[in-house]
Amino acid sequence: MKFINPTTCPWQHAVGEDGPKPDPDPAANRLLTLEQWHAVKDRWPQDLKVAVEFPNNVDIRELAPDLHRIALVVLEFPKWTDGRAYSQAHLLRIRLKFQGAIRARGEVLVDMMQLLARTGFDEVVLRGDQSQAFAQKALDLFAPVGFYQGDVAETRPWFLRSSAQVAA
Amino acid sequence: MYKYTHFDRRFVHARAAQYRDQLERHLAGQLSTDDFRALRLQNGWYIQRHAPMLRVAVPYGELSSRQLRQLAKIAREYDRQPDGPFAGQGGYGHFTTRQNLQYNWIPLKDSATVMELLAEVDMHGIQTSGNCIRNITSDAFAGIAPDEIVDPRPYCEILRQWSTLHPEFAHLPRKFKIAVSGAQEDRAAIGWHDIGLQLKKNAAGEVGFQVFVGGGMGRTPIPGVEINAFVPWQQILVYIEAIVRVYNLAGRRDNLYKARIKILVKAEGQKFFDAVNEELARILADDPAGHEQIIPQAELDRVAASFVDPEGVTPQAEPALDTSDPALDPQFSRWLARNVDGHRVAGYRAVTLSLKRVGIAPGDTSADVMDTAAALADQFSHGELRVSHRQNLVLPWVKAADLPELFQAARAAGFATPNARLLTDQIACPGGDFCALANARSLPLAAEIAERYQDQDELEDLGEIDLHISGCINSCGHHHSGHIGILGVDKDGAEWYQLTLGGSDGSTLSGTTVPGRVIGPSFAADEIADAIDAVIETFKRERLAGEHFIDAVKRLGLDPFKTAANAVRVSTAKA
Repeated sequence: MKFINPTTCPWQHAVGEDGPKPDPDPAANRLLTLEQWHAVKDRWPQDLKVAVEFPNNVDIRELAPDLHRIALVVLEFPKWTDGRAYSQAHLLRIRLKFQGAIRARGEVLVDMMQLLARTGFDEVVLRGDQSQAFAQKALDLFAPVGFYQGDVAETRPWFLRSSAQVAA
Repeated sequence: MYKYTHFDRRFVHARAAQYRDQLERHLAGQLSTDDFRALRLQNGWYIQRHAPMLRVAVPYGELSSRQLRQLAKIAREYDRQPDGPFAGQGGYGHFTTRQNLQYNWIPLKDSATVMELLAEVDMHGIQTSGNCIRNITSDAFAGIAPDEIVDPRPYCEILRQWSTLHPEFAHLPRKFKIAVSGAQEDRAAIGWHDIGLQLKKNAAGEVGFQVFVGGGMGRTPIPGVEINAFVPWQQILVYIEAIVRVYNLAGRRDNLYKARIKILVKAEGQKFFDAVNEELARILADDPAGHEQIIPQAELDRVAASFVDPEGVTPQAEPALDTSDPALDPQFSRWLARNVDGHRVAGYRAVTLSLKRVGIAPGDTSADVMDTAAALADQFSHGELRVSHRQNLVLPWVKAADLPELFQAARAAGFATPNARLLTDQIACPGGDFCALANARSLPLAAEIAERYQDQDELEDLGEIDLHISGCINSCGHHHSGHIGILGVDKDGAEWYQLTLGGSDGSTLSGTTVPGRVIGPSFAADEIADAIDAVIETFKRERLAGEHFIDAVKRLGLDPFKTAANAVRVSTAKA
């Protein structure tokens, strides 16, 4: 899991003199809202990768035709108990075979680390008061044991892994 | 019973360690009260009126005597209020309609230690609360009922494992409850669950699930509707995955009272069904990992191997027991007729240990009583017990020849009230005495009913009546499904009670799953017991020979009951 500092992160919003531009000009390392992406995608260079912020109340499958042009999808946790982005990340990885980065942003707590890692997130912007050391500890907690059901990191449920071990 | 593997054990211990880490960070001020809430809830810890409440999962109601002794030890050593106005309170547990056990008085600082004690006996509080997939419930007579089509327990265990710490479904819009029945008679109220599963065999003898979705109580009671008549058992995990994914993404999160899946199903109807079917098709066709979630025969066989009959259980000759023999203790005859049920294995019986006793709240069990029940299970039932939806304990493996001896022992321990399915076998939540959510107390009313109806002849004469009491609209006491339902409501800080009639849990006697209908304005606390009496008296006057209460309500409608109940109003008559 990569811990991201949004101010030093290379992916940045395009901000003009009057605030965010509705249709930014193409440039490297652009972080776009979904609306911005919709506004510019037809004239955006095909080989210039972007990062897109995706709201948690829109069907992530809409992004399918564009995914090869996207390096990073930022998913939102407006509240940490709002779990929609877990399903969005799962669909991006498993259904849409997205290979780029998936970042969690918003109210991201250390105690969500396992859920995030298992549904396909590989970057987080922790909420300001959260400790990176605790987050790492939370990730390590179940690592020696594993889980029952398959997930993005290990698609086989325990019953397939254990029978494979017995067979080996 | 399911035998924990090395993996299962390590898993519950890891969960206990994770909880201890969270608790310690919270107590050290590194994890705020707000952020800790959802974490403790998913381990079963609520903060209640006087102290934290712990809800321990008893998966699909199966409990060993060893586990029950550990639960007794926790009640005795940890369930104590140390100081304050309730100092000394505690020392017991409360069995719930969803086959869980709740403690009311364990100090939060001891909570991690209690989780470790539970893990020692293969137990936990995982997902007994919070907006996640809750403890899977089932028929208390699973695996032993003569009317069973398919033993639901192996499927329940596979579902338990699949739903435990599922990363995608840990923060759903609202709580999510699944119940499974494998018998002809529904003893698990599956129609009242977010997902209700009925095991079936098709014409070819293959096993599958009839799937109901969108059932739920609360302030908008809605029975579940069939979404699929037959899902092959191998596909049940992916089928539920499809349902829960659609719900997680589309369920409402703007209004707590409209967040259950029942609201989504009702609002979208066929569109919801189509979305689920499309999602299932995509999982199977497009997800590289989709086929890995299909349950292999080997896994079903592995889990099912835990659910064989205990060693030594073999068909027995039926003992000659003439229940009409006048020499027989009449209490014994009553108990045989009421609290003893038939069994799949010849010469065996299922015995209900009634937790509905005068002076004790329904489902409440002290540490000593738990130990006694564990001893009875060891002596008479191969060390196994069940927790029933009706908040009683069941001994599932009793030899018919042992019934006279068991009766004496159960009577001595206070378990032999012969009232199974009668008026005083009432379901009640802990209510306002303990629960921070409740609007009114349910236990004093339950106690008053138990006091008023002690005459066994009268109770038998009234026949089977489901009386369900909830202290608030969260409906933990299932008032919507009671033939007589009582709901506690708060008006200007006073306790009031709404009376409903004609609700059904979906059993053969009760009929199609349906919520009861309200009769008139709420009753005052000092009127409600009289109102119930009036309803009962009306039934006695109007019933046909041999007619059940629920059938009389259906035949007569609400009016005669309403008139009689209104006549006892005192304080509310003035309004």
